[in-house]
Amino acid sequence: LPFIFSCSDNSTDQKTIRLAHGLDVNHPVHLALVHFQQRLQVLSEGTIKVNVFPAGQLGSEREIIELIQFGTIGMTKVSASSLEAFVPNMKVFGLPYLFQDQQHFWRVLNGPIGKALLSDGERYRIKGLGYFDAGSRSFYATENLIQTPSDLSGLKIRVMNSQSAVNMVNTMGGSATPVSWGELYTALQQGVVDGAENNPPSFYFSKHYEVSKYYVLDEHTSIPDVIIIGTHLWKQLTVEQREWVQIAMQEATDYQIDLWQKSTNEALAKVKEYGVEVIYPDKTPFRDSVKELYKQINNEEILQLIADIKAQERD
Amino acid sequence: MWFSNAMEKLGQQLNRLVVLLLVLLIVDVSWQVLTRFILPQPSSFTEEVARFLLIWISLLGAAVAYRYKDHLGFDLLAKKLPKKHQAKVSMFNAMVTIVFAVFVLLIGGGNVVYVVYTLEQYSSVLGVNMVFVYMVIPFAGLLFLMFAIDNLIQLSAPSEKPDGPGSVNHNSQGA
Amino acid sequence: MTELILFALFCLLLLSNQSIAIAIIIATFASMIYTIDILPAATTVAQRLAAGVDSFALLAVPFFILSGYLMGSGGIASRLIDFAMSLVGKLPGGLAYVNVIACTLFGSISGSAVASTSAVGGFMIPEMEKAGYTRSLSSAVTVTASTVGMLIPPSNILIIYSLASGGVSIAALFIAGYLPGLLVTFLLMAAAAIYLKRTNQVPARAVEIKPLITSFIGALPSLALVVLVIGGIIGGFFTPTEAGAVAVIYSFILAFYVYRQLSARDLYPLFLQAVRTTSIVMLLIAASSAMSWLLSYQSIPQTISEAMLTLSDNPLYILLIINLVLLVIGTFMDMTPAVLIFTPIFLPVAESLGISPLHFGIMMILNLSIGLCTPPVGSVLFVGCSIGKISIAEIIKPILPLYVAMVFALICVTAFPQISEFLPGLFGL
Ligand code: NA
Ligand code: NA
Repeated sequence: LPFIFSCSDNSTDQKTIRLAHGLDVNHPVHLALVHFQQRLQVLSEGTIKVNVFPAGQLGSEREIIELIQFGTIGMTKVSASSLEAFVPNMKVFGLPYLFQDQQHFWRVLNGPIGKALLSDGERYRIKGLGYFDAGSRSFYATENLIQTPSDLSGLKIRVMNSQSAVNMVNTMGGSATPVSWGELYTALQQGVVDGAENNPPSFYFSKHYEVSKYYVLDEHTSIPDVIIIGTHLWKQLTVEQREWVQIAMQEATDYQIDLWQKSTNEALAKVKEYGVEVIYPDKTPFRDSVKELYKQINNEEILQLIADIKAQERD
Repeated sequence: MWFSNAMEKLGQQLNRLVVLLLVLLIVDVSWQVLTRFILPQPSSFTEEVARFLLIWISLLGAAVAYRYKDHLGFDLLAKKLPKKHQAKVSMFNAMVTIVFAVFVLLIGGGNVVYVVYTLEQYSSVLGVNMVFVYMVIPFAGLLFLMFAIDNLIQLSAPSEKPDGPGSVNHNSQGA
Repeated sequence: MTELILFALFCLLLLSNQSIAIAIIIATFASMIYTIDILPAATTVAQRLAAGVDSFALLAVPFFILSGYLMGSGGIASRLIDFAMSLVGKLPGGLAYVNVIACTLFGSISGSAVASTSAVGGFMIPEMEKAGYTRSLSSAVTVTASTVGMLIPPSNILIIYSLASGGVSIAALFIAGYLPGLLVTFLLMAAAAIYLKRTNQVPARAVEIKPLITSFIGALPSLALVVLVIGGIIGGFFTPTEAGAVAVIYSFILAFYVYRQLSARDLYPLFLQAVRTTSIVMLLIAASSAMSWLLSYQSIPQTISEAMLTLSDNPLYILLIINLVLLVIGTFMDMTPAVLIFTPIFLPVAESLGISPLHFGIMMILNLSIGLCTPPVGSVLFVGCSIGKISIAEIIKPILPLYVAMVFALICVTAFPQISEFLPGLFGL
């Protein structure tokens, strides 16, 4: 019986951090978190052990955040959009074409704006440690070629279950249709929706390319992943231990960005090989179509944040 | 006796409530299908409403089902005991149910509500406070607790029928 | 230690006829406070209960339960039965075969074994009783045959497996499921025939068998429900979950306005019964979600897989062990968490020994389908017993030969990868 195998408790001077996330074991995020685990093991000379629980074993992103708040789990990786419920300013990442390019994106995240957003969650018992690359999301469609936003009109596009995603697609001219991720393959296959949007690795890993003819790299949003530690755990750590965690996190981030790039290239190559037509459209009309969205914003804090982010653009 | 009467009335009202919630659930999902064909932009809130209704129905319905002894158990052994011991086993079960109601649903569920309330968590589409979703856990706990106490009272009362509060209308659906 | 507390307490509560869901929850909670402080532990269990039922896909359960009740009382059932009788009612044991086929069909449409048990069982079990079959046999047939829908598309569990495995083609999986699914259907019919012969049950033939044409016309609006549901899903009008709501409305209209066998007075008890049956199932799903959370938290799945790889490197031997382990897991864990937890653990072991993920996935789903029908935790079994109004003790005898049929199908699927891989190969997937 499996019940015979029993794990004895750790000795007193050893710390165990339970880190749960929702992605599978081949995903760049998991590999980077394992890298974090190994680096922290070395840095702490074996005194800090990280248990990584992949594939949503311990719950969905929102549920894991709650478990961190209850004090049952120590760390997680979530999408910035899942944090909106706790850190409202994270909504800013849901805005399309917020960043000029990759360099601008990382300049903002590594700068004071990114750091402030990370610590914004502390009063909700969750502290951000750093960002992972989650690429840019683009549209894919089963039958219809999308080259300009006007091609979206009349198309049912699956979006994440979030108001900002709904607004974005509706503003561009499509019909935003929330469908759960698990039901999306069948929904695409059977025409419940005409398309969806996600980054290349997710498009590839989810097998949605099997039922999509076109992948249109309009790269409308870049929503980073955020690594979170519970403040109850953070408070238990000594100054030295916190430093190790930060160093290991930085190394894991560098490692992840590299892996993500490879994974993106590989995903695009694979879906092309399968027969998906990958399109590199002119982004200008897409960029123009969402200007209305920016005008509708009346939240002072978000407006200030947008201005600060735009101020970091370079020519 | 007043307590048992009150519990019976409460049970009847809860029956109505869960049926109402089921009707709402059907209307909600049908609306979701319908809007896809009628409106240019399909409704986006229906999925979240449906999921939250399902949580409410599941937990409240579980308490109602407990009241009317609908839950599935493994009755092979208990049935073979003499009547006197069967009553003791039933009392033990009621007490375990009280532990479940108090520790897991009332204290645990209460703390979920407390944390979600103080940390201001809102649902992603409707923007409703998640307190309203999770509140059903301690609420169901209170119901389980009261029904279990009523069960204990009836089990310890002499010359009461041994199977406790009315095992009613199992026959009504005719299917 | 945690595992021992969990197991011992669960068994004790089970033997005392405690509600199985509460037994699971109490055992989980008690073993959790061995490693986690009492307040976070209680909070975590409470959250898992809500999270366990917080799923859009699960909505199919109340809908198909309700439409099953509506069909049962609304005259839809009797017309379908009439039609089925005209087809195979003359055969000895014919209704048992009709039940198997109807469950296969319904399970295939809904992708939920629980839903098909309630929808088909809701009318087949009483009808079979009228014809002289025991309730226990009818329930056992319904329960086992309903799981075939897990293998035949559309099937959400195959999609979940594809996601958990991180790269098996869903299209290939869908096509791969047909032959194993039909194999199970066939073996179940054979097992039912043998059981009827062995127990000398010679059910009375239908007293009155209508001419095929008459019964077909009578059943046509009911059969149209199947067309509506399949057509709606395949035609892209709604998802399998939403099809449940559509089925409710259609069977409502049929019962009230077409067959006129229900009145407003019948409605409330019918809805009440449906919502209670739903809640019993939901609390069980919630409870198993709490328990599988604890097992993952204790890294028990990993411990198992590490132990396994030290045993052998013969693929068939390892598959045998995996099957045995999964059968044990299936007895006390629900299918969805079992797939999510054990796919990432067993699949790499299997793949490292040259077993294709397609073959492995079909084998795993078929294996866990058996678990859906076994005590102590088997949601389909519970719904079947609840619908058939029999105890678990009563169903055991007639369900045993059906287990044998399913295990035999599992052995075939395990030993002959061709059964799963032939069709996908044919389509070049
Ligand atoms: Na199916
Ligand atoms: Na089972």
